[in-house]
Amino acid sequence: MDGHLMEPTLYTVKGIAILDNDGHRLLAKYYDKNIFSTTKEQKAFEKNIFNKTHRSNSEIIMMDGMTCVYQSSVDLYFYVMGDSHENELILMSVLHCLFESISVILRRNVEKRAVLDNLDVVMLAMDEICDGGIILDANPINVVQRVALRSDDTPLGEQTVAQVLQSAKEQLKWSLLK
Amino acid sequence: MNAFKRDKKEEEDGGGNPFSNLEKTTVLQEARTFNDTPVNPRKCGQILTKILYLLNQGEQLGTTEATEAFFAMTKLFQSRDVVLRRLVYLGIKELSTVAEDVIIVTSSLTKDMTGKEDLYRAAAIRALCTITDSGMLAAIERYMKQAIVDKSPSVASAALVSSLHLSGVSSDVARRWANEAQEALNSDSVMVQYHALGVLYQARKSDRHAVIKLVAKLMKSSPKSPYAACMLIRMACKLLDESNEGNELMEFIESCLRHKSEMVVYEAAHAIVNLARSGIREIAPAISVLQHFCSSSKPALRFAAVRTLNKVAMTHPTAVTACNLDLENLITDSNRSIATLAITTLLKTGAESSVDR
Repeated sequence: MDGHLMEPTLYTVKGIAILDNDGHRLLAKYYDKNIFSTTKEQKAFEKNIFNKTHRSNSEIIMMDGMTCVYQSSVDLYFYVMGDSHENELILMSVLHCLFESISVILRRNVEKRAVLDNLDVVMLAMDEICDGGIILDANPINVVQRVALRSDDTPLGEQTVAQVLQSAKEQLKWSLLK
Repeated sequence: MNAFKRDKKEEEDGGGNPFSNLEKTTVLQEARTFNDTPVNPRKCGQILTKILYLLNQGEQLGTTEATEAFFAMTKLFQSRDVVLRRLVYLGIKELSTVAEDVIIVTSSLTKDMTGKEDLYRAAAIRALCTITDSGMLAAIERYMKQAIVDKSPSVASAALVSSLHLSGVSSDVARRWANEAQEALNSDSVMVQYHALGVLYQARKSDRHAVIKLVAKLMKSSPKSPYAACMLIRMACKLLDESNEGNELMEFIESCLRHKSEMVVYEAAHAIVNLARSGIREIAPAISVLQHFCSSSKPALRFAAVRTLNKVAMTHPTAVTACNLDLENLITDSNRSIATLAITTLLKTGAESSVDR
């Protein structure tokens, strides 16, 4: 067969990118060392794909031998890339999960400003969806559960005595370990 | 619209993006705050986010810079802030390839992975495995085996996925942990099932007989996870491709055409038309599934269908003729890739009558 049968492997995702409305990278990850090994190549690809996709909202495109699914919202563009023979619906499920989880994290306010304000949690979400090219979870509910539990940001003055004691204990332990 | 204008203005004022104009040296200098006690989680979290952002933008750190930042970051293990801890794991993963002596965090990560907090454990396992080399592998083996059969799905998945990555470090990892992966295969979690199957395949792929046994066993129970089902179809295809036998395998793939998940149905249809052994009779049910997908409201599904039909048209043009009408409807599709694929497919299957239309 001429290689159109897909090799049984869990390494499905080649890359994930979030671009702004100028085509600049907000966040991007590439999981296959053999494609776009340098930042320069990656950014050239991102520019290219942005130019081809930013005007149309048609969800899927073939580019540079890869299948790329995408979705936009206000001033953001979400992309998930896979091999050109990859099952498109699997890639779509990853894109859907990425978009939905970020949408929940940002309280349905999916725009650049909100992403930048919550960049830490958005990065964690991307990390929970895909690990080194393997889909870790494609269920947005699970992903959000795993990242969005912000501890109640209690300022130092309002910490309970137990918390203060605990942190003092930890610090002491650290100074001893040094 | 108003909100949009306001944002636009903010951006022009330079106050829109807190991450624009970040300087590598300044940020790394800020990272010295990590050494302060007590740790200020909010402030350190922001600085760490900036570092991660810079790395994500492709900023290169020298070995010394990276090592310094890495060691500063290890001080943040003192804090119990959940988000900060998770960012530290991310930082460890990002810097592990550049910084030196990264194994310094081994004990901290082992402690987190064996601790009580499930959310720490899963992420700690994944971070730990990125800094693990062949020498360290034996030391964490016991914990990894335990984690694979853990009842928390996130922990089990993290361990399974990490063991696949570790196959690059030591090729027999998957084989050594296969018993645990076998147990994880029975998990209720769809993702754990999928990841376990991946590890088992990795462990057995060089032994054709073992793969046949694995596939045969799974075909009977038919995995709940659509991802695992897709993987199983691919495994079955590989077996079919290598030998002339295997009617049960073929039957299994055909039965997947009636799966309730579109993902699996498409995977099966794609597999059937791409198998060298498939003749007109075998591909007929697959073609009718693809034909049905051609009128889906989802562009990705239409794309997948027409791309596969395009491929079949090269070998079995007559089988695709039945879809000509559906393909003609796709010529005006708003997605240009779909339209193009529809046209080229029709060129292979179309008769003069359709050219007139």
